Amino acid sequence: MSTPASGWTRREFAGGAALLALALGIPAAAVKLTDLDAADVPSDRQRKLIAEVSELVIPKTDTPGAAEVGVGDFVILALAHGLSGTRDPVATGVITPALAPFRRRDGPLNHLDWLERRLDHAAGGDFLRRDKDEQSRLLAAIDGEAMAHGAAYSPWVAIKGLILTGYYTSEVGGSQELRYELVPGKWEPDIPIQPGDRAFSSDWTAVDFG
Amino acid sequence: MQNHEFDAIVVGSGITGGWAAKQLTEAGLKVLMLERGRKIEHQVDYENETKAPWDMPFRGVGDTELYKREYPVQMLNRHFTEFTQDHFVNDADQPYQKAKGSEFDWFRSYQLGGRSLTWGRQCYRWSDYDFGANKRDGFGTDWPIRYDDLAAWYDLVEDFVGVSGAHEGLPQLPDGKFLPAMELNCVEAAMRERILAKYPDRLITIGRTANLTEARPEQGRAHCQYRSICARGCSYGAYFSTQSATLPAAKKTGLLTVVTDAQVTKLDHDPQTRRVSAVHWVDTKTGEAKRAGSRIVFLNAGAFNSVHLLLNSASEAMPNGLANSSGVLGTHIMDHANTMAAMAVVPGFENRTSFGNRPTGIVIPRFRNLDKLDGDGFTRGYSFQGGALQGTWTRGKRMPGIGEGFKEEIHKIGPWTMVLVVFADSMPRASNRLTLSKQLDPRGVPQLEIAFAHGKEELAALADAKKEAAAMLNSAGAHVVMGFDQPGHGGTAIHEMGGARMGWDPETSVLNRWSQSHDVANLFVTDGAQMSSSACQNPSLTYMALTARACDAAVKMLKEGAI
Repeated sequence: MSTPASGWTRREFAGGAALLALALGIPAAAVKLTDLDAADVPSDRQRKLIAEVSELVIPKTDTPGAAEVGVGDFVILALAHGLSGTRDPVATGVITPALAPFRRRDGPLNHLDWLERRLDHAAGGDFLRRDKDEQSRLLAAIDGEAMAHGAAYSPWVAIKGLILTGYYTSEVGGSQELRYELVPGKWEPDIPIQPGDRAFSSDWTAVDFG
Repeated sequence: MQNHEFDAIVVGSGITGGWAAKQLTEAGLKVLMLERGRKIEHQVDYENETKAPWDMPFRGVGDTELYKREYPVQMLNRHFTEFTQDHFVNDADQPYQKAKGSEFDWFRSYQLGGRSLTWGRQCYRWSDYDFGANKRDGFGTDWPIRYDDLAAWYDLVEDFVGVSGAHEGLPQLPDGKFLPAMELNCVEAAMRERILAKYPDRLITIGRTANLTEARPEQGRAHCQYRSICARGCSYGAYFSTQSATLPAAKKTGLLTVVTDAQVTKLDHDPQTRRVSAVHWVDTKTGEAKRAGSRIVFLNAGAFNSVHLLLNSASEAMPNGLANSSGVLGTHIMDHANTMAAMAVVPGFENRTSFGNRPTGIVIPRFRNLDKLDGDGFTRGYSFQGGALQGTWTRGKRMPGIGEGFKEEIHKIGPWTMVLVVFADSMPRASNRLTLSKQLDPRGVPQLEIAFAHGKEELAALADAKKEAAAMLNSAGAHVVMGFDQPGHGGTAIHEMGGARMGWDPETSVLNRWSQSHDVANLFVTDGAQMSSSACQNPSLTYMALTARACDAAVKMLKEGAI
């Protein structure tokens, strides 16, 4: 196994995740990264980048933002395990010259490499050195393009989806930002929505179909 | 008469196996229940029941890498998640073959309780539109029973199971003995009125579901808590499963022996007595071969596995499989053609919501080909299931935007949508069939090979369903945004059935009107294998009613010395 240029080893990475879990008081199970293959261990910069990008998508408001609850590391884990189809081979037809360099030998894209390059390209340099407003503006443009109706395939869609999954299935996102009620105990079929009512993260039908 | 250790052996512990064990033990029979999967104890072994997404290594979504390797079929099931994955088979360990050109996603749960732990809980009576269907259009073979033969058994089963639902007086979907219905939400209630005004023959009613709206203290079951995470297992016992209901009843008699991790491989047939003389199984933990004998045998292994067992029990006297003198064993398998016929946004209810997770949706019972044959290219029925719901955070995955405004938007309860999923009658066809493969499973048993394709009748029904779903919803003020008319793979309705069909004639059917083999008098098959047609309703309630009826008949035959 080769050691990535960043100096991160699998063990250190897993250890870091466990420390992070301790620091945040969230169960280690939720950020367990012990299984990563060497090839899936991101560089330090990529790890920082995905944490910052997740915060740009879901910033701190009156509830913590995505960076604070470790969403970046969840996305790394999720990408390494192919959640949301991220390890499915990408159809040849949707591979543009811009995407081609990020295609892994086994077919799927390396999403983090793509994201890093895409953001630096948009920034005309080091994305991480831009101020928050500039970062937001650059990311919003990438997002707008990728999420537009009828848009061409973009790896951003899956990354954004995993950021949302990471945040809203965390304890903070699921039970503070949204409402989580494991045992409602009753069914009220028709009640008014009060101003400020939060959606339920525990409405499983809505999670699947909404 | 041979002296057996057991009066009855029941193969399988799911919806019908549990029922057979209960009824046979309550009739005083000593019963051995064999289950191929592991033991799961009620309230003790529902490991993920109360966990939150953040308690799970992959947040409840699950490890896709693992699933692709070991659960490539099961992972396609919407109810298969990180919370429920232990309630489904490992496909790598339980392989099956698909015939060339066939697609069949076989969703399975090999464990004590079988799929009664993971089922959709919808309970619908069939009517004579269904039992008379084969005779009417000539597909398949005529059912040797009609609704009147089954009505009392539906009563008995519903009384014990606990089915909540609304009385509607529909001939095509007979009312049952219902617990109070769960109510429609505001959008469903409005759509019911609006659609009924325009289409008097199309009724939205609440899904009839085996979730208790009133506690059953005598069974140790609490009322539904509106969590809607049933497939994780329910320690309240609020939905009907083997664990929550039939197994405790059977155990109470003191006459039940349960053996888990017991994969039944073969039934012995004694050509002198023309009876099943022994049941063989493999202890899947030790590899040890075991056997037992009994006066009667009930196959409740799940439709395809019961057929599999009969095919694998060929003998000199019955070279094409046990109970297969007709040669139709394995043929005429079915699974409802299903797809999402329409999804619509429903404006006008922006300030209304609901509380709790109702564990059932709505149903629009069949309205085609009832007293008048009005289907375009199809002679049977379809019905819709679905409901109205509001979005939550996952809708953000489709929304442009980042930052505070985006977070604030996702914070809100989402807009109302309404979904209609169609289930259409699957026509009984000889070409849709099960055979034994030359490939062996890890325990050395020939695998099952499935040949299955939907035909033009199903496609015509789904095309009509898509058109009608859109017309109904649009006329009722909703805006349909998408809909499909191509069925999912065979198996995706999880209503696979047939293969040992019931019929009048021993030359063209496997079972008689008592779910009893024409050829082998002490053999009963009372799971989905016995079905001669599919109807378009969920079949489990009918399997249970047929099981109850067959148990009663078998006990009478035993008492009379007929078997």
